[in-house]
Amino acid sequence: MKLHEKILTHYLSCTSPVDKEGYLYKKKERNATYQRRWFVLKANLLFYQERPADRHLLGVIVLERCAVRRAESDAQFAFSLVFGPGLKTYRFAAVDRQTQESWVKALLSASHCYLSLLVRDLGRQYEEAKQQQGSGESRSSVTALKPSTYSFLFTAQGPTTAAVVREGRSHSASTVLQASSIPTKVVAKKSPKLWPRRNAYVTPLNGPAPLYGEWPLVGFDPLEDFRKLHDYYGQEVKKAREEWLRSRQAEEERSDEDLIDLG
Amino acid sequence: MRFNEKELVSLSRQPSEMAAELGMRGPKKGDVVKKRLVKLVVNFLFYFRTDEEEPIGALLLEQCRVEREDSQTFSIAFLDEAERKYLFECDSEEQCGEWVDSIIKASYEFMRKNLIFYRTEIHRLTGKDPLEQYGISDETRFQVSNGLQLMSRDTSSLQEEKGPQKIGPS
Repeated sequence: MKLHEKILTHYLSCTSPVDKEGYLYKKKERNATYQRRWFVLKANLLFYQERPADRHLLGVIVLERCAVRRAESDAQFAFSLVFGPGLKTYRFAAVDRQTQESWVKALLSASHCYLSLLVRDLGRQYEEAKQQQGSGESRSSVTALKPSTYSFLFTAQGPTTAAVVREGRSHSASTVLQASSIPTKVVAKKSPKLWPRRNAYVTPLNGPAPLYGEWPLVGFDPLEDFRKLHDYYGQEVKKAREEWLRSRQAEEERSDEDLIDLG
Repeated sequence: MRFNEKELVSLSRQPSEMAAELGMRGPKKGDVVKKRLVKLVVNFLFYFRTDEEEPIGALLLEQCRVEREDSQTFSIAFLDEAERKYLFECDSEEQCGEWVDSIIKASYEFMRKNLIFYRTEIHRLTGKDPLEQYGISDETRFQVSNGLQLMSRDTSSLQEEKGPQKIGPS
């Protein structure tokens, strides 16, 4: 199978930051010796080369469907990536406990599956937090609110949702996340209004991909974009509040008329 | 460059809801459209000859530009080479839209951005860092880019406020 390497190396060298890098010893399968290599972790890809300054990459390990294990029996401060029956086990050793722990932690949260579950979970928490803030009611009335769902990540019934959840459940890292029920209804009560008109299908080459459809564009300057997003939701909340106030006033007026005339 | 081929092939066999026979054309001049089984798994696009078990190739869907070329065709450009595109012909407008949508959302970087957004927002709304419960608040990959420290703050004052909090510029 051809892995289009140029795409990977291009991604590695592009402006988005690296998730972790450093020296580790990698065990050679053939003669069971350890060789020091410079590792660079980015997204769900673990690249390695001889030295940090080297332009030539020796290899890459795609970190999906593998377990991260601490393994002291082999060498000190050792750990491994286990892909399962019939598949490879990559063995590494660090120079001290701290380095070992740091890498193990980083690798545990590196997979796409893991991130996908995390994003879903946080998306749900975000919706709930928004509902609680937006309602302005006391905590006890939270149960009266409809269960929150979120559509801004998915325009249609998410085709990838079920598949990823299935993958995620069999992954070792999925135990780290609580098993939260994934909502099947995908439409939010109030979807964010459309961002200023642009070709929704085109994504900038160097920037991150904007969401197809509903979600406002998240560009390259996160701080600026958060402000934009805050303003955006601020407007919506303002409007919602005004409507609520108006409906409250209308109700009050109505209830005045309904008062029984005891006179 | 070495890579874990067997493991990647195994990954390509995982169930995916985005798997279909599409007309695929390579980026080079002279490349023609060929019928391929195209399958999206995590942030990789695998393509197979129909009825073959091992994919011909795998495309990493990061730093790429996905575009709709016409109602039933979409393209993916890599390496900042806007002219060198892979073309994919779908059976319907709807299918084409689904593919564009799914590929964009499959990008790790795209997901990371959303995560950081949710993390920041949840902290702003609740005073809590949602990653603390998972013990991953310190992981570099989840850091809020502007260096904001997401410390849990005392939220008792929030309960006393009347109505929704004011959001946006004051």
